[in-house]
Amino acid sequence: MQSSVTQPQSATPGSGGPPPEVGPPPRRSSGRAWEWSLAALLLLPNLVLLIVFTYRPLLDNIRLSFTDWNISSPIANPVGLSNYIEWFGRDDTKIILRNTLVFTVATVGISMAVGLGLALLLDQKLKGRNIVRSVVFAPFVISGAAIGIAFQFVFDPQFGLVRDLLARIGVASPDFYQQPGWALFMVTVTYIWKNLGYTFVIYLAALQGRRADLDEAAEIDGATAWTRFRRVLMPQLRPTTFFLSITVLLSSVQVFDIINVMTRGGPQGNGTTTLVYQVYQETFVNQRAGYGATVATVMFVILLAVTVVQVRFMDRGKQA
Amino acid sequence: MNEFSRRGFLGLAGAAGVAGLAACAGTGTSPTTGGGGGSSNTIEFWSNHPGNSKPVEQEIIKAFEAANSGLKVKLVDAGKNYEEVAQKFNASLAGGSLPDVVVVSDVTWFNFALNKQLSPLDELLSTAKIETSDYVDALYNDYNLDDKHYALPFSRSTPLFYYNKDLWKAAGLEDRGPKDWDEFLTWAPKLKAAAGSDKIVMELPDGSNYLDWVFQNIVWGYGGAYSKEWTPTFSDPNTVKAGTYLQNLAKDGYLKLSKDPAPDFTAGIVGCSMMSTGSLGGVSKDAKFSVGTAFLPGDGNCPTGGAGVGIPANISDDRKKNALKFIEFLTNAQNTVTFTQATGYMPVRKSAVDLPEEKAFLEKNPNAKTAIEQLPKTRSQDNVRVLLPGGGARIGKGLDQIVQGQDVATVFKGLDAESQQVFDSQIKSKLGA
Repeated sequence: MQSSVTQPQSATPGSGGPPPEVGPPPRRSSGRAWEWSLAALLLLPNLVLLIVFTYRPLLDNIRLSFTDWNISSPIANPVGLSNYIEWFGRDDTKIILRNTLVFTVATVGISMAVGLGLALLLDQKLKGRNIVRSVVFAPFVISGAAIGIAFQFVFDPQFGLVRDLLARIGVASPDFYQQPGWALFMVTVTYIWKNLGYTFVIYLAALQGRRADLDEAAEIDGATAWTRFRRVLMPQLRPTTFFLSITVLLSSVQVFDIINVMTRGGPQGNGTTTLVYQVYQETFVNQRAGYGATVATVMFVILLAVTVVQVRFMDRGKQA
Repeated sequence: MNEFSRRGFLGLAGAAGVAGLAACAGTGTSPTTGGGGGSSNTIEFWSNHPGNSKPVEQEIIKAFEAANSGLKVKLVDAGKNYEEVAQKFNASLAGGSLPDVVVVSDVTWFNFALNKQLSPLDELLSTAKIETSDYVDALYNDYNLDDKHYALPFSRSTPLFYYNKDLWKAAGLEDRGPKDWDEFLTWAPKLKAAAGSDKIVMELPDGSNYLDWVFQNIVWGYGGAYSKEWTPTFSDPNTVKAGTYLQNLAKDGYLKLSKDPAPDFTAGIVGCSMMSTGSLGGVSKDAKFSVGTAFLPGDGNCPTGGAGVGIPANISDDRKKNALKFIEFLTNAQNTVTFTQATGYMPVRKSAVDLPEEKAFLEKNPNAKTAIEQLPKTRSQDNVRVLLPGGGARIGKGLDQIVQGQDVATVFKGLDAESQQVFDSQIKSKLGA
């Protein structure tokens, strides 16, 4: 930082002349220093909070992942890589990874696709659209635990709404609480319902800020609706799509409340257990906080890799 | 610059989010020492209000404060169930302010005691000259580790056999519970025929909701056990026999698992169940049919359950003294009766059943009497369920798999291996330490 401030400024690009012998006026240099100081000052509080509440615990978590810490014990003994070896070798790891993948892909994909569809629909001049917009957004602000409790009744195999609807068309309701596949379906649908309002409102904001003249020009050029959607609208929505793909992915991976309320990670032990639920289960139920930290660290690495890929993908998309 | 900012910002935001996620798991391992926060004149009581007992807890607290001027009790909502109270207590051990009195369940107390986070009460009790012989022996001794007691019984329960008397009558059965599980098997076809296709003969909680607790009755009934002391015995032929019995009940259409059998039973679509005594109040109030309760099948095969109250190890002696005073008051004969009658839990004092108000209550509520009469037939639970970390969840998962049709011997063999591994890695070295 120091050097950048004291370096002589180069000549105007393209001027072709030699650099002036004398550097920029000292006033400009001190102005930049002031800008940097102000930026540092403004960033400092957030930076301190991030370091104390995010990065320090992250490092502490990685340290704990190499120990056998029982959450109630004041002592944590180092165990080397054995927690990691156990995680990679355990039978339930595959099931939990699969659950996490299915849940995340479904919730990210479906909530973004349906959110975009709803945003396109409610961007039209329709009667009562403001009310419908509020209705679509409302579930997002309700707590996950409350939604989980409400949806227990929706999916109840004896009294539930789904059972009633299926009975009307002569189909027996699956037992959503005892069959792992249906249980995962149930928590996935519940979370999509809760999260739809978020993707909807972000896409709606993006649609309202798009350039309508591009669409009109394409229409005049004879482009079909599908082509206009694909070639004109979607490129304009790309930054929004990218933003949503990261934020929805991170929030999906964090889902705990709905799973805890509806299935407690079951049926059959890990029917709906995702990585974040396993962290809880190992840390607080099995009291193996060291092993829980291992799962959290693995999750961190996986998510970091996915986020890097997303950023690269977005970057390449822009260059194309 | 703009391009960098947007991409950089999103990338950084993503990284921070990801880091935040990973940071959720670990905190620290610094033990709380000394006073552990708190005030010596205010007793902080962490409870999940078992059996919707908050009003009755407040009533008892009010009486305690009236009888002990200068002492206040702060009742803290510490979670919706025993596990959440344990989580909150764990969080406080890592550096927060410790409570004076905490509710610890039959499952959660042991880990705290083993890691020296609960005070052994024996010395405190003897210093305060508090007599413990009036506590029901089976319940008092549930909190024993290395000849020291780490909690006193508070909201204690056992499972009961609940049945729909109307269905029993329609099936031509006597008005009683089955003597054993073989007899129940002879009754099941009659019950199914009387119930019709839209009703269920028996519903039990699933493996995520304490099937492993009530199933001990069936296991013990067939001469098996989850463990003998610390040795897992799932592969014992008698335990396997019990597992096969459970599987066949489901296969033959007599048994269904659910998150909570109480609503289905209360609605009259389930013929019978094994549920906690704590469900008795709600079921009796809401059912539109005649509810019957009976001892669990078999003789002396009823597991104890529920929770006690303990005192953290790392608080000052003054606070411990006051905490014990409150616990003694909370669980005295008079208050255990008040608590029992409001919730359905069992009185934890022997002398409670001789109090006139309890006698009158039992006279009016014969179903509540079943739990008390069953008390001498209770048995402490098997170690691998109740004392091994994650024992209940582990066994529950196995039982779910069995009900869904997986091979009983294979599932139980796996449980033997897992339980042994957990004992070796987490318990063995700490016993007697």
